[in-house]
Amino acid sequence: MTNRFIARTSSTAATAALVLLATIPARADAPLVALYQGETIRFTHVAQNSGRLAIGVQDPGFAALLHNAGAWLTWKPGERYVLITTSVPAVISFALGDRRYDAGPIALQAAFAPYERGNEVYLPFDEVLGALGLALRQDGNVKVLQPQLAALDVRESDGRVTLAAHGGGPLHLRVVQQSAAAMTYAFDGVGTTLSGTRKIGAGGVRSVQISVSGTVSEPTTLVTVRLETGATAQAPQNNGDRDVALSFSAASSGPQAVAEESPTPEPAPPEDNAPSASSAATVTGVTTEPNADGATVTITVNGSAIYEWHRLRDPDNRFWVDIKNAQLAGPPIELSTSSPIVSVRARQTDPSTVRIALSLDGSKPIEVTPSVTGLTLQVGGEDVADAPRSGGGSLGSLISASGPNAASPVTPVTPVTPAPADTSSGDLASPDENNWKFGPRSGYVPTNPRLIVIDPGHGGSDVGTQHGGLREADLTLDMAKRLRDILIARGWQVKLTRESDVDVYAPNDSARDELQARVDVANNAGARLFVSIHANAYINSGPYGTTCYISKPDDVAFARSVETHLAADGTKDDGVIKSHLYVTYHTRMPAVLVETAFLTNPSDYALLASAQWRQKVAQEIADGIGEYARAYPVPNQPAQ
Amino acid sequence: MRSTRLPVLFVLLVVVALASWYYRSQRVTSNTETIAVYYTKLDGTSLSDVRVSLRPPLPGESAAEHRHNAVLYAAVEAVAGPPNGIAAIRFAPGTRVLGAAVDGSTATVDLSKEVAQQAGGTFGENGEFKALVYTVTGIAGIDAVQVTVDGSRLETLPGGHLELDQPLHRSDF
Repeated sequence: MTNRFIARTSSTAATAALVLLATIPARADAPLVALYQGETIRFTHVAQNSGRLAIGVQDPGFAALLHNAGAWLTWKPGERYVLITTSVPAVISFALGDRRYDAGPIALQAAFAPYERGNEVYLPFDEVLGALGLALRQDGNVKVLQPQLAALDVRESDGRVTLAAHGGGPLHLRVVQQSAAAMTYAFDGVGTTLSGTRKIGAGGVRSVQISVSGTVSEPTTLVTVRLETGATAQAPQNNGDRDVALSFSAASSGPQAVAEESPTPEPAPPEDNAPSASSAATVTGVTTEPNADGATVTITVNGSAIYEWHRLRDPDNRFWVDIKNAQLAGPPIELSTSSPIVSVRARQTDPSTVRIALSLDGSKPIEVTPSVTGLTLQVGGEDVADAPRSGGGSLGSLISASGPNAASPVTPVTPVTPAPADTSSGDLASPDENNWKFGPRSGYVPTNPRLIVIDPGHGGSDVGTQHGGLREADLTLDMAKRLRDILIARGWQVKLTRESDVDVYAPNDSARDELQARVDVANNAGARLFVSIHANAYINSGPYGTTCYISKPDDVAFARSVETHLAADGTKDDGVIKSHLYVTYHTRMPAVLVETAFLTNPSDYALLASAQWRQKVAQEIADGIGEYARAYPVPNQPAQ
Repeated sequence: MRSTRLPVLFVLLVVVALASWYYRSQRVTSNTETIAVYYTKLDGTSLSDVRVSLRPPLPGESAAEHRHNAVLYAAVEAVAGPPNGIAAIRFAPGTRVLGAAVDGSTATVDLSKEVAQQAGGTFGENGEFKALVYTVTGIAGIDAVQVTVDGSRLETLPGGHLELDQPLHRSDF
């Protein structure tokens, strides 16, 4: 259930009057001076249209307002669309000559359509202010741009109600009254047009009442939540400075006995992409059906999940697919079937993984196809010599919903752009090789099948990322040398793209020259494999883990072997990811770019700083190389 | 006779004007499209999306201009990313779309120089551009995205690995 308090001022008579007023030519108006968060802003490109204020998009005051509100404008002279990105972020789309404007999933009607005067577009000011969560108010002789409690979304889920408040300015929350029957919260510094009482009747919440007190310049919006007997209130949660979530549970759905007071909103929990238990998918059924090509196994899944499949080589012809963050509905499943499938089993292998295992009567090809309802495994009837051994992706509905600030559309919307289905896969690209820009496997044969080229990322004039005293270029060289020593001890020939802290091509060279020089080392030598070693980074400290990046079909099995061993390196295994990276894309041999860990994450940083851990990573990469070489021997060459 | 025709004509004109207005005012509520705005989740590669509404072609807006406007809108949405409460890989703070152009089936999206201020990891650049490419190629007729930064093609972002001096396709990710 999602409801939103929205102030509406439409009536047929009023709208008709506005339409008649729209025939009156817009006229220039006197400058508008208004206070906004203690600053005086002077708007000079102001006009009246239909009895309402219009603002020119090139007005310096308007630019200052957007800047202070954390918003920005996308518009060029001559263009029809005027886009404003707010701090939510949400994009507000206006267009010349169209009264409609779009705010996220909502299509709304403005009092008048944006119009052009000279080379400047004028927008309906009230609607712009509303989108920014502001309202123009009069305080005596002073005009004030008053931040608003712009939205209070009511969401119900699993016997719990969450009131998601969004402000046009920072929301300073106080609990001003709490009892078993009601909680009253004060949002200082914001007014609202959402005043009134709304009956809820769910999640232990009887009703929500909104009122405003204080002055125009110093308003306070009060939100009183009346509770049912035994209902509990959780501590408010901030998400940024303009969003606060107030959550309530009915008597039987929450363990808390009393309302918890939190005068100061608690910080938001760290971003975590791990699906919650409540969002776990459910495997509801597994069926098999013979067909002309062999047999089809249909795995029905309710919800979205990541899956990963593996198979063993002939003669141990077993195949299994793990569906992550999933629960098996009911007891384990065991199906007896006919050729080419000997048996099918489904069971819960750990609290969050369901495994469906097939025993086959030969080295049969298996085509794995995800859909919104689960997975289909098409098992072929004829043996194949070299079936892919692993893969993965996403299944279920990938259309995850509106954001926390999204409201129900005022206007019904109909999708016209299809979702990309499984092309938005999780780790590793689709096993369908038609999806590769390079097409199927290249058939590359190394001229030097005992040579491994190791590329220590960055170096010389490019230190890569650096954090807390560690430099990526130093770390990658260290790990590359450790890997080299291990491989040489195991009988490989090894060439590093650089042996010291230097550029491979030239100092301060272009990215293309530098990266191509590294590619050339491997291509010119006819190396068997290419490994580029890096340390990852991000704009915040949240992400961590090890990732293997690839670009070509030939890279898949190699990266899988390396990734399988790196999974034990002590940080999170983020799997194998396909991307258009220069060195993996342009090398002719199987290649992998290993982002060993995040320099920007404290726990990963500690690992990278450890020589023991770097040695472990080198060992694991070497193990992956060895496993791959044994599994995919070069024709007419002994396995390593 | 003439004196009675004029008021009737006036009333007819008012009725036609009101009917026209009514039709136009209702038009947007019965013909709304949406765009899927993709974002890359923090596993580094999985996509999800939020849908935003897109106005249908306006009077006087050619099909080519509408496609250009849709591309611009989609690119701005993708670079803005989902609301802050959603965990997603995001472009470097301050990154904006400076403009968009369409040539055949390739859209060019010009980003501000702040895009280069990413932290230097493959995680960010892969996730950012995957979401942008998926979003923009969701526009009918667009199958590739050429990224420029402040009007110029870059081989890669500084210290980056993703090849940016040629159009990116969904199959690159």
